[in-house]
Amino acid sequence: MNSAEELKYLLPASVISVGVQTNKPLAVIKKEDILQVAEKVKEMGFDNLSVITGVDREDRIEVIYNFFSYKKKQNLVLKAILDRTSPSIDSVVSFWKVADWLERETYDLVGIKFNGHPNLKRILLPEGWMGHPLRKDYDMSIEQFVTVGEDGEDIVSTDGSNLLRGE
Amino acid sequence: MTTNAYDLIVAILSAIGLYDMILGFFQDIGAEYVLRIIIVLVVIAVVVVFVLLTVMFLSWLERKMFAVVQARYGPMVTGPRGLFQPIADGVKLLGKEDTIPAGADRWIFTLAPYIVFVSVLLVFIPLPFGKSLIVSDLKVGLLYIIAISAITPISILLAGWASNNKYSLIGAIRAVAQDISYTIPLAITAIAVVVFVGSLSMLDIVNAQSGYWFGIIPKWFIFLQPLGFILFLIACIAEMGRIPFDFQESEQELVAGFFTEYSGMKFAMFFLAEYAHLFAVSGIIVTIFLGGWNGPVIPLIPIELTSLVYFIIKTYAVILFTMWLRDTVPRVRIDQLLNLGWKIMIPLALLNLLVAAFVVTAGVI
Amino acid sequence: METETFLLNVGPVHPATHGVLRFKLRMDGETIRDCQIVVGYLHRGTEKLGEMKTYLQFIPYTDRLDYIAAMPNNYAYVRAVEELAGIEVPQRAEYIRVLVMELNRIINHLVMMGSLLLDLGGSTMIMYGFRERENALQLYESLCGARMTFNYIRPGGVREDLPDGFIPKLNEFIKDMEKRIVDYEELVNGNEIFLMRVKNIGVISAEEAINCGMTGPSMRGSGVDYDIRKEEPYSIYPDLDFKACMRREGDSLARYLVRLDEIRESMHILKQIVDAMPAGKNVNQKYGMAPNTGAPTAVTSYFPRIFTPPAGEVYCRIEAPKGELGFYVASDGTTKPYRVKIRSPSFCNLVALPKMVEGLKIADLIAVFGTIDIVLGDVDR
Repeated sequence: MNSAEELKYLLPASVISVGVQTNKPLAVIKKEDILQVAEKVKEMGFDNLSVITGVDREDRIEVIYNFFSYKKKQNLVLKAILDRTSPSIDSVVSFWKVADWLERETYDLVGIKFNGHPNLKRILLPEGWMGHPLRKDYDMSIEQFVTVGEDGEDIVSTDGSNLLRGE
Repeated sequence: MTTNAYDLIVAILSAIGLYDMILGFFQDIGAEYVLRIIIVLVVIAVVVVFVLLTVMFLSWLERKMFAVVQARYGPMVTGPRGLFQPIADGVKLLGKEDTIPAGADRWIFTLAPYIVFVSVLLVFIPLPFGKSLIVSDLKVGLLYIIAISAITPISILLAGWASNNKYSLIGAIRAVAQDISYTIPLAITAIAVVVFVGSLSMLDIVNAQSGYWFGIIPKWFIFLQPLGFILFLIACIAEMGRIPFDFQESEQELVAGFFTEYSGMKFAMFFLAEYAHLFAVSGIIVTIFLGGWNGPVIPLIPIELTSLVYFIIKTYAVILFTMWLRDTVPRVRIDQLLNLGWKIMIPLALLNLLVAAFVVTAGVI
Repeated sequence: METETFLLNVGPVHPATHGVLRFKLRMDGETIRDCQIVVGYLHRGTEKLGEMKTYLQFIPYTDRLDYIAAMPNNYAYVRAVEELAGIEVPQRAEYIRVLVMELNRIINHLVMMGSLLLDLGGSTMIMYGFRERENALQLYESLCGARMTFNYIRPGGVREDLPDGFIPKLNEFIKDMEKRIVDYEELVNGNEIFLMRVKNIGVISAEEAINCGMTGPSMRGSGVDYDIRKEEPYSIYPDLDFKACMRREGDSLARYLVRLDEIRESMHILKQIVDAMPAGKNVNQKYGMAPNTGAPTAVTSYFPRIFTPPAGEVYCRIEAPKGELGFYVASDGTTKPYRVKIRSPSFCNLVALPKMVEGLKIADLIAVFGTIDIVLGDVDR
């Protein structure tokens, strides 16, 4: 059996369904059990977390984890369905350190909150940015102006007030 | 028999027949010392002009050599093969705004680059450019040079302090640490040479290297003290702050050098001082280890001229070697640099001194 | 003696960093106690743009990710689209794709080696590296008209066939490169000062490297013997004979030497491709495939003018010169992707950097950072 079926066998309560993501085994899991599932996945030998993707579907937000095992040369994809109004899920940073930045980026662009993350701040956009751009309802007509303050930190505003500097 | 430039000028004037006339003229006024002062000023002017021209040429040479090693052309546009590039650089620097940072100590800030430049110029006094082409043959020439070189760290600290900039001060302190660490092996190695010669005078050091062994090998101290030569060369390169020891000017290291806040003519002074220092140090290496102005005598050409030519050739050989080193080798980290200076070079220099003293006392040489 | 740590800011505008990147260092004298990296100065919203352009229109945006070696970016996206839609690619096109990608690998490693040495102070190496890179860029210019942002690989094949005279010039380039690489080894590998600066600096163990998401040559320098081209081969890599370059020590020198070896392996691959390329220059078609005709040629299969792949998701990863480059493409059956997510190697390689530089001096930060080989277009997208 492939790795998603193996996961279903080991943790039947957490895995909702098993499928494929084109050519990789996919397991849809319950978002509350992510930490247990992560531990089991790590035990199964998946030591490489490739990417964490957040996708904004109309009625839900999906977060997709792609794993790979260097020893067993297998792929595994985990998908968790999150509530669209306030998407949040536990952070897997204690298992894979690369999740540190991947989760920050997902929070920054899609707006998913990762509980237990040590430093959940925006990473690609400046600190004061409003909105999460990769949401489908992000309003692209609002202009936001970014400048750098005296201490090197970013200042963001929507009315351009930070652009004018007294001389 | 002329011994320094002053006497040389007197000899030339006497040969033309003018000296007695001019001397008589001043004696009639009762101000003979004025003539002496004028001749001394002429000598100094010649040296300063020579240094300035050399510095300009060296900055062109450095860029050209850098380019040739890297398979590119270098300056080509300004003048033939880019020879007027230093003039263009000078004009550009003169045209820049001369800023003094807020809160800086105005007097020290303005004076520091000139102190550096003057202290480098002072090194040229006992440097023998050729037979009787020496400004003044100080009896303590070598000690004088080492002592004057110690003014440089002081002026660097002045520049870093007066800039009112945290990073300039850190840069200045690091530069001084480097300078001091390498002056010690430099001095010890120079003393080993003095042990051979028995005198601190630069002229005596050069004269001690005249002649040949077996008629072929010149009696240069590099053959007697190869370890001393290597140590002295490394110490000089480190003192000058050139690659591989130039963490000061490395733009890639984030702490800016002590001359960040300088612009315009003051900045130009620092760079002039650096190249003048390069020439002076190469001259010292040539004098102490490579035989100074000694070389085969060519009949019918005055020995003053040939000795000057030999000196210049040897000095440029050392300069080109330093530039070649700069183009090829990466730079050393500061703690590795200080390790090298204190833990490796000082013991080796002391060992060198010990061997030299033993050899001289045993009467071998 | 009681000392205080102070905060030191490196960048974002700085000659050493390979782009706009900011380090916030907590320093204790010369030693780094803590390093925080601030990215995002070059963020251009590429993933959002992916949702607003059609599949074919997005390909030039992928060029701008890793602009030093842009072909693999093209290829990863195009392969994701091909897997999603089930498009077949003719053999000759596959050979051409691997040819241009391996040439990109060589020029990418030349830039890495040159910039590392430039940061350390030996500025000659970057001039030599760029001299070789110039020859390769002229090859690319004759091929697709661009030196840096190629936009050459399309779903179904490549844009145009190889021009006349390309293969002889490529052979010349390989011969030249073989001589020069011996030069580079003699100039750099044995130099004591270089070794003092990179040996045993920035050591990372294999487990930590995998955990921190490091991939590519940086990971293989720590002893992990994994190369996507060998383990999960794509395109014509199963038919090619090469080995994954690996070193065990995990320090900066190992990462540097891995890349030097990879240049050699890439040249070996190029020679095999030149020997084995299937023939077939279609003399009827002047331009390979333009979006206007979509008709198949020797180097591309049929690609419709209005392209709507079936709904689904795909994640496709390849071995880019900097590491594992992955594209996640989700489609909902329309002409534009629903979501494009780019897994860039430089972004994930940076996660390990604070751990690697703790306890080192500032000068070592520059050396370690140079061996990880990142480019900011890739980090910030």
